[in-house]
Amino acid sequence: MAEICYEVVTDACPSSVYESTPAHSRRRPRFQTVMHEDWEKNCKRSKQEALATRYSSIPRSSREDFSDQNVDVSSPRYGVSSVCGRRREMEDAVAIHPSFSSPKNSEFPQHYFGVYDGHGCSHVAARCRERLHKLVQEELSSDMEDEEEWKTTMERSFTRMDKEVVSWGDSVVTANCKCDLQTPACDSVGSTAVVSVITPDKIVVANCGDSRAVLCRNGKPVPLSTDHKPDRPDELDRIEGAGGRVIYWDCPRVLGVLAMSRAIGDNYLKPYVSCEPEVTITDRRDDDCLILASDGLWDVVSNETACSVARMCLRGGGRRQDNEDPAISDKACTEASVLLTKLALARNSSDNVSVVVIDLRR
Amino acid sequence: MEMIGGDDTDTEMYGALVTAQSLRLRHLHHCRENQCTSVLVKYIQAPVHLVWSLVRRFDQPQKYKPFISRCTVNGDPEIGCLREVNVKSGLPATTSTERLEQLDDEEHILGINIIGGDHRLKNYSSILTVHPEMIDGRSGTMVMESFVVDVPQGNTKDDTCYFVESLIKCNLKSLACVSERLAAQDITNSIATFCNASNGYREKNHTETNL
Repeated sequence: MAEICYEVVTDACPSSVYESTPAHSRRRPRFQTVMHEDWEKNCKRSKQEALATRYSSIPRSSREDFSDQNVDVSSPRYGVSSVCGRRREMEDAVAIHPSFSSPKNSEFPQHYFGVYDGHGCSHVAARCRERLHKLVQEELSSDMEDEEEWKTTMERSFTRMDKEVVSWGDSVVTANCKCDLQTPACDSVGSTAVVSVITPDKIVVANCGDSRAVLCRNGKPVPLSTDHKPDRPDELDRIEGAGGRVIYWDCPRVLGVLAMSRAIGDNYLKPYVSCEPEVTITDRRDDDCLILASDGLWDVVSNETACSVARMCLRGGGRRQDNEDPAISDKACTEASVLLTKLALARNSSDNVSVVVIDLRR
Repeated sequence: MEMIGGDDTDTEMYGALVTAQSLRLRHLHHCRENQCTSVLVKYIQAPVHLVWSLVRRFDQPQKYKPFISRCTVNGDPEIGCLREVNVKSGLPATTSTERLEQLDDEEHILGINIIGGDHRLKNYSSILTVHPEMIDGRSGTMVMESFVVDVPQGNTKDDTCYFVESLIKCNLKSLACVSERLAAQDITNSIATFCNASNGYREKNHTETNL
């Protein structure tokens, strides 16, 4: 397996998984007072993180959101891997914002994770990476959100994000975007969005499109999102009720064109392709981890397999050892995400692959 | 046959006559048993020469077609030459190889056949024509595009027509947006030119007064 993985990765995109980039300086602030030993540990962890985050740069604002609390206690453990794979262009984007929101009167921050799989071009997914977490932050209104409030918050955020990418006047196209057209009325670019906000007692997932969030609980997968495929019975009813049509071309497609029934953007396919997210809220228990990934992974790796790989990397999924070095947990998450990416490429995934693994052990 | 736009009654009546005539003369396709065919019409508020300048660019269809990311033509665009088209992600195709069958700058006729690529449209042939048309009192354009294509195994004629029509509608809608935006720019440039000329006139007058 290792040899096969290595060969495939080399052929597909050799530098993307192994090449290290100095992205760590934007992830966590350096504490100048740390002793030499701690400094070395931070460096190793940063390099390990940089290894897997080549294609998922995190904006500086994440540092502004950073909590001043003891990072070893409140900071989430996670790993990211995001690769181009066999596609010509990289159109996936990943956004991670630890402590992006701190409800008043609470000592525990909330953490944001998002995976966006673009199609048609990369600029809608890039825009989601830059903006969607800020919209969620703005829409969060109360200290202790109940289920309905979370749904409203997410639905409003996704709707605002969709309007932003549709109205060209307000947004600036990313410099590396190659769109010749840029015509507001004929926008045929879109993105999935699977977003998770993790609080001390709950996991909130909002999904729009065919990326996916899967919780690993006692080694078993618990889907926290459902893929928005056009032939899902309720989606098919909604599309046809709106006057659209689903044609099975090489797979079920809205108007024969788009293989998902919900997305951010894709203005030309509205109202058939909706930007309304499906929101799930799950109480936390003794969970192993949460996996967010694009369909480049899920098309070729089952929920069960992904959970097994992640759990194995987190060493059996037991309760985290007292005083376990946070660097160890981060490394395990990164290894899990990289291994899942390699597995997807080995199984001939034909798409970009983006994987986020979040350690939920307490 | 479907007509898109053309809400104005007079325009619609006149357009119908031109449409019928153009159909008989220019949009003939030999349609076999296992094929489907259709024609679409789009009214655009931009002059015919501007619209034609966009559609006749066999080497740069991405200028107005939203689903194309890149196009490569070997040599000069002339009858019989081929273009290799890269299709954007998310669509049921990645490449398309297309041949230029007809390019008439007098009659404004563009004919293209798809001869290969990674998609399910076999024996696809299309004809696109543009015609001058008065729209809301200004000179505009009526665009007609017709096609014939094999019905792929597993799909119905209705499925196939619906799918191809969806693609063509997107292309024509985008063509309208690009043309109308360029037409608006032309008007703006004309106004700017007029202002400059007016300034020149005043300067000249001033000089004469001094003399």
